[in-house]
Amino acid sequence: MRVYWRQWIRRWRLPEMRLLFLALWISALAVAAVGFFTDRVESAMERQASQVLGGDLVVSSSRPLPDNYRQLATQVGANMAEVISFRSMLSFGEATQLVQVKAVSTHYPLIGQLQGSKDLNTVGLSLNGQLPASGQVWAEPRLFDALQVPMNATVVLGKSQFALTTAVTKDPSQGINFFQIAPQVIIPLADLPATGLLSPASRAEFSLLFTGSDRAIRELKANLETKLAPTERIRSLQEGAQNVQQALQRAGRFIGLAALLSVVLAGAAIVLTAASLVRHETRSVAVLKAFGLARRRILVDYLGNLWLLALIAGVLGAMVGFFLQALLAYWLVQVVAIDLPAASWTSAWVSIVTALVMVTGFALPALLRLLDTSPMQILQGSFPRQKSLANWLILSILPAIFILLWIQARELRLAVWVFFGLIAAVLLFWWISKLVLNGLARLSTRPAWQWLALMRQSRRSLLLVVVFAIGLFTLLLLTALRTDLINRWQASVPADAPNYFLINIQANEQAKLEQFFQQKQLQTTLYPMIRGRLVEINQQPVTSDDYPKAEAKRMLEREFNLSSFANFPESNKLLAGKWFDTQTQGFSIEKGIGETLGFNLGDSLTFDIAGQRFTETITSVREVRWDSMQPNFFVIAAPGTLLDKPYTLITSLHVPTAKPELIPQMIRQFPSITAIDTSAILGQVRSLVEQATLAVQGVFAFTLVTGLLVLWSALQAQKPERQRELAVLKSLGASSQLLRQRIWREFLLLGGLAGVLAGSLTMLAANLLGYYLFDLALSLNPWLILLGALVGAVLVASVAWLNLRSLLRVAPMALLKT
Amino acid sequence: METVIAVSHLQKQVLAAAANNNKETLNILADINLSIVAGTSVAITGTSGSGKSTLLGLLAGLDVPSAGRLALFRQDLTKLSEDQRAALRLGKVGFVFQSFHLLEHLTALENVLLPLELGKHSGDLKQVALAALEQVGLVARAQQLVTKLSGGEQQRVALARAFVTQPKLLFADEPTGNLDRHTGQEVAALLFRLQRDHQTTLVLVTHDESLAAQCDAWYRLMEGRLQRQEQAA
Repeated sequence: MRVYWRQWIRRWRLPEMRLLFLALWISALAVAAVGFFTDRVESAMERQASQVLGGDLVVSSSRPLPDNYRQLATQVGANMAEVISFRSMLSFGEATQLVQVKAVSTHYPLIGQLQGSKDLNTVGLSLNGQLPASGQVWAEPRLFDALQVPMNATVVLGKSQFALTTAVTKDPSQGINFFQIAPQVIIPLADLPATGLLSPASRAEFSLLFTGSDRAIRELKANLETKLAPTERIRSLQEGAQNVQQALQRAGRFIGLAALLSVVLAGAAIVLTAASLVRHETRSVAVLKAFGLARRRILVDYLGNLWLLALIAGVLGAMVGFFLQALLAYWLVQVVAIDLPAASWTSAWVSIVTALVMVTGFALPALLRLLDTSPMQILQGSFPRQKSLANWLILSILPAIFILLWIQARELRLAVWVFFGLIAAVLLFWWISKLVLNGLARLSTRPAWQWLALMRQSRRSLLLVVVFAIGLFTLLLLTALRTDLINRWQASVPADAPNYFLINIQANEQAKLEQFFQQKQLQTTLYPMIRGRLVEINQQPVTSDDYPKAEAKRMLEREFNLSSFANFPESNKLLAGKWFDTQTQGFSIEKGIGETLGFNLGDSLTFDIAGQRFTETITSVREVRWDSMQPNFFVIAAPGTLLDKPYTLITSLHVPTAKPELIPQMIRQFPSITAIDTSAILGQVRSLVEQATLAVQGVFAFTLVTGLLVLWSALQAQKPERQRELAVLKSLGASSQLLRQRIWREFLLLGGLAGVLAGSLTMLAANLLGYYLFDLALSLNPWLILLGALVGAVLVASVAWLNLRSLLRVAPMALLKT
Repeated sequence: METVIAVSHLQKQVLAAAANNNKETLNILADINLSIVAGTSVAITGTSGSGKSTLLGLLAGLDVPSAGRLALFRQDLTKLSEDQRAALRLGKVGFVFQSFHLLEHLTALENVLLPLELGKHSGDLKQVALAALEQVGLVARAQQLVTKLSGGEQQRVALARAFVTQPKLLFADEPTGNLDRHTGQEVAALLFRLQRDHQTTLVLVTHDESLAAQCDAWYRLMEGRLQRQEQAA
């Protein structure tokens, strides 16, 4: 054992061994950091799922829930709490703020505890089951900031005044909602009617939460299911927040796979390094065999050596990855207030297994060839060139990559897709680089382009270009997505685009509000909004069970926002049929909803609106730009047709920054109106996207580092060849200065070329993504190419110089001797 | 006296690429007969390409003959697998090569330690290795990486490595071939001294006739056959 250990220590002196270690370590690090982090976010989701739900069983609806549900709960002995939640404006003196009002009954929350304090400067403690007393409102700390309101101040909600007595730091059923822009306030349920904020057409969620024994909950669920009205939904733990969870799990896996790109690049570094290690060790093995060492001994020796190397790299990678992840989590917690549970150790195992799979798949095959070294070679003095890597690629390297992908993706299908995508991407880079290099080589035969002759060694250059271009491409693409796309998206929103949405405008306030706008010289149209549920298509009843797709199910479970008006919406495009005029009546539908639910021009739709049925035929199909900041509707009825049903009104308007007092004035006059500051939402979405991509970019920075590592390994592998070349040049009288220039020129060219390739492909990819995903016009950004060329040239040339400069200092004689 | 190597009617053929793109059988060794007694030194000379190194490799069990009988330490090498042949060499056979073949990432001491660590040796191995280096006059440079040593010094480290396990049999392949005349003579003197001190059987393959003349027996390899050369002394 001690002999192996000693051998290991001695082999550590080989630069190849240290390179192998570095490649393994970086891979383990990337996998661990990303793994720990996504794992924590995922388990945060899981833990929150039950709390988000607020009970073991929840019935909710956009309409008030019938009383007999409460009796059913009492019959089976379940605990119950009631919550009504909606958005409204809260004001303090002149200042107003959009808030999420949560009116709660006694026993809330059924699971967990509210935490908070009576003093903004102390840490929130458990409130021991207390709830706001009548006339009191409790609020999230950020409301105090937003409104600059002190503790115990009097605030106004609708027609009622409340004393603001507690800052709630944690509400277990609030969950993680990145897009919850409005701070939450809690009031007693009994105080709600007096505020006058709820009208039959208001948008609110009415929920009954239940907890109890498994049997009681099962029984209750079965009872409730027979009685559910179409707008009502039952959620239990199994279904709770499942969509969010799945989405996050997927996102986590994709980031994990992104991290794997650097692992695959590191794999390339390992293959190269192992090849030069083999060249180095062939003689050692021949000598050892001559001394009488058996193949098995040699195998055990190298196997032990490499696995030990991988084990140490994996453990160290997991450790450093853990710290990196902790930093990232710390930063994320500052940005979005989420509570991350501790990381599980699974990721540490995954990173160690990754290192072991890598060394086994990528390095061991090359080293196994060592075993076939004949001791006779040592007498003959010839060490034949090793056979091509093609066999190992198929037998060992590709399977290893696939296993790694599978471990990360945890899903065979995804792994297969990514695997072939990766191969296609590498082949594309390979092919393009080869084409360009061959072109340059041909060009160099012309006298004026002779300085390009260095690029004729295209086999050697190709590897460097491909590897580095891939590393740079991933990084540039993320940069482009983060800055370029977001900027372009923002530029596509005009400066005077609406920045406020007003919702919950009561029908009886319409005239007064229009008058108010006229006084303030604001142009705006109020659209009626009627809520109805789709119940029949062509007189055939439909339910969510008829559709397998989650999106379609959701659409049928929720109520649609319908409207009716005469002027064709500016931001829409008529695709088929005819817009309403005196002859044309019926419905105008949005294209996507027709596709999702399977209806089109000429079909008839029946909506249930507050218990009454309303049937019309589809007479036109529109395309809607959802990011136009205008009110948009899936279904519009002919002007005037729906106004006998209960409705509220909605509008959007542009409030100039010079008139900040306008919205507060309006809210005081019309307290039930909810004003949503969309520019703030846009800003928040933007910063969220930026932060998310920054995190992903951090992952891709690994790719660049591994790209450099591969570059170094490739240079190390090519060193003997270059050494001979330089020796010959020196012996022919080339000065060190000339050789130095030669090295710089070659690698500036190679790096620049890799950069230009990466930049061009980034531009192409960013444009395609922008065009197909974000509907943006194509735009050429030559800076990307320039940036790529510059970064590529500087990085590649510097790394090459660091690797090769020692060769310049050696006397030509010594070079020839080795 | 114990016979260490016994060879009769040994042949070695290899396939070589011929001009017409076919493979052609080349007779490197046609009919070798040789017997080497323990403790003696035997030189084999011949022109370049005469098959000296091939013969050395066969005698050491590094390769297998095409025909004939070959016994090393009374074991029939033709009946042993590669690993069994290796096991036969372990600790009993030493090598000195023309281009030294020291492990470059190791120090002089570590190179000498290597065969001790590989075999079943016990005790203070480091002291044993240092003693071997002492014998070749390099103890002061024990901790140097071998790449920092001169050619003569490297070959002396190789001698220390070869003798440190006290092998019964030592194969030397052009041990002075890469050295200048003066250094070559020094190294040769050291080799013979160590061989006598350790009572080692020595098989020496060389171009250098003056070196061959110092051995107990001298064979010339010509057209795949060995001819005994009469010693001057």
